[in-house]
Amino acid sequence: MSNVYVSDFVYALGSRKTHVTESEAAGRLLSSAEDLESAGFAWHHLCEPGESAYGLAEAVTAQLAESGRLTGIDAIVYATCLPLNGNIGDPGEFARTRDVKHLMDFPASRLQADFGLTDAVVLGLNQQACTAMPGSVRLAGALLAAEPSWRKVLCVTADRFPDGAIYEQAYNLISDGGAACLVGREPEGFRLVSAHQITNGALGQATDDETVGSYFSFTHRLFRESLDRAGLTVADVDWVVTQNTNDKAWQILARLLGVPLDRVWFPSMPDAGHIISADNIVNLAQLIASGQLRPGQRVVLMMAGFGLNWQSLILEAV
Amino acid sequence: MGILITGADGYLGRRAVSALLETTGDEFVLAVRAADAAELAAKRDRLDAELGAAGHGRVTVVGADLTRDDALADVDPRRVTAIVHAAAVTRFSVDRETAQRVNVDGTVRLARFARRCPDLRRFTLLSTLYTAGRHTGDVPERRHEDAGFVNFYEWSKWRAEQHLFDSGLPLSVLRLPTVIAEDDGGTVVQYNAFHNTLKLFYYGLLSLMPGEPSTPLALGTAAFTSAAVAHLVRPEVPAGIYHVTPDPAQTLTLGQLIDLTFDVYERDDNFRRRNLMRPIYCDRQSFDDMVDIARRLKGGPIEQAVASVAPFGTQLYLHKTFRNEALRAAWPGYAAPDPLALADAVCDHLVASRWGRQPVTRQLEGAL
Repeated sequence: MSNVYVSDFVYALGSRKTHVTESEAAGRLLSSAEDLESAGFAWHHLCEPGESAYGLAEAVTAQLAESGRLTGIDAIVYATCLPLNGNIGDPGEFARTRDVKHLMDFPASRLQADFGLTDAVVLGLNQQACTAMPGSVRLAGALLAAEPSWRKVLCVTADRFPDGAIYEQAYNLISDGGAACLVGREPEGFRLVSAHQITNGALGQATDDETVGSYFSFTHRLFRESLDRAGLTVADVDWVVTQNTNDKAWQILARLLGVPLDRVWFPSMPDAGHIISADNIVNLAQLIASGQLRPGQRVVLMMAGFGLNWQSLILEAV
Repeated sequence: MGILITGADGYLGRRAVSALLETTGDEFVLAVRAADAAELAAKRDRLDAELGAAGHGRVTVVGADLTRDDALADVDPRRVTAIVHAAAVTRFSVDRETAQRVNVDGTVRLARFARRCPDLRRFTLLSTLYTAGRHTGDVPERRHEDAGFVNFYEWSKWRAEQHLFDSGLPLSVLRLPTVIAEDDGGTVVQYNAFHNTLKLFYYGLLSLMPGEPSTPLALGTAAFTSAAVAHLVRPEVPAGIYHVTPDPAQTLTLGQLIDLTFDVYERDDNFRRRNLMRPIYCDRQSFDDMVDIARRLKGGPIEQAVASVAPFGTQLYLHKTFRNEALRAAWPGYAAPDPLALADAVCDHLVASRWGRQPVTRQLEGAL
């Protein structure tokens, strides 16, 4: 993957910004607002009733189109955390007609049509939960390796929770959100150094406490194996861009891994909480915007999700 | 003339009474805490049933709440020749006020009573090895200076020792290990922080291990501990401080325990299928952070289980080698449990019984 590059990180959040105390009062949480605030959460973003996951995908893709970057796309990898966000058809129509085509109205196809990406083939990725975005980048890199004539892949992720859902998973405050990036052959953004994934299907229906319980050992393992696969050591890592989870969790992991805490980067957490599979992209975009990133620096992106899945990317700033 | 035993219906108290009934011809006054006559009668019946024929005619059960000044009003001090003080709150998570009230003030009251016993020849305190608190390195069988403590249990037992050392009573202090099983067979009846920690790992609820792999662990059985009590209270055994623990060379380390535990777990299909990883040893700050996280996971099993482990976690960073030369000299034939075999048997039992939630047959244990 040494000649594959990742760039153009954009994101969009549900349009209603709500404080955790308001969500507690509205019955959207399992934990108390006080406990979530003590973990570093404060605000989160919810889609309004008429706002869809596809709308979030549209919004991020539109940002790329407006910047003139949405050209020469050979494939779209459309990733969702929730499988139900991989269908924009009306399940009610299926119930009424018993015609399964209403369960196969694919957002990737809609996106291709809406943005005129007529040369792009589409792929859906919907069984990697919150790790789907790094999964899509990995898949895009593999597609470019397998298709010598392809130049660029659009990776999109977008999720909103169904109306009435609890906006807390495994003790994390959730935001609806989407993100996108481009994976191509031109040296821009970041070189994709390596990608890694661990799946423990036996924990596919893990409880929240089991998810928390296994978090440290598997995340520790993911980080170590990621470096090993890339032939790197901790000293070669300049930044670790994490998902937005209890802020003490990465204080612990930073110590265990020997990573300075000021190099662990998740600044969007107080404003947005855990943005399903978009955390990495949102935090990476904010790292770039901070002006602290230097060419040649290496960034490790880390995500954990249901399944249970753990995925990472190692990127090197161009 | 007889032996007064406080906390006689407690986990170790009951076993000590049984052992003493076998090894002495004495009569016993068993002091138990009871809120009213009905509770006292129920405890008396239970003790009578457990002690069986050995106790008939030799045992008197009295109510005695050592948090009250008149606790031993029903006991004639002229008839007491020895006291074994087993009553205590032994939870690592005990709060300071309770620890003071029960473990310290209760001991003070009992010492006051002891001074009124004209024929008292021995006062034996069942204490803990962890009155050493934050001391590290070799821990001799001596009075400990205050080096600080990890929890109020340790602190209160240390305070109780200090009071008795200064009391002028004919004192023996038996510092006991963490009791993890009934006997070498590994059966567990009373669950504590040791078992709760292993439970967290089995169920995948914790993947951080407080402590260092090389930290020695002083573990024992109820059978070993009660046999020690029965031997060391004999009049011919010199009064003194005794560490009731295996020899230092026969002490398990934390790393050995965790490795062995997972070896046992991995023989279990249910555990193996979940592909859980062995825990990562973490520094003290990280464990404190984990405890802080767990406190916020309200209502779930992690919160409760970590709460029982946390008050002891710091000890797993404090290397101690408990010397036991005095014990060996006073009890030449003593045989502490083989630590590896004991830990293996205990883990086997825990898995087979799912921490006491399902019955165990030896066949099932053997199949794991």
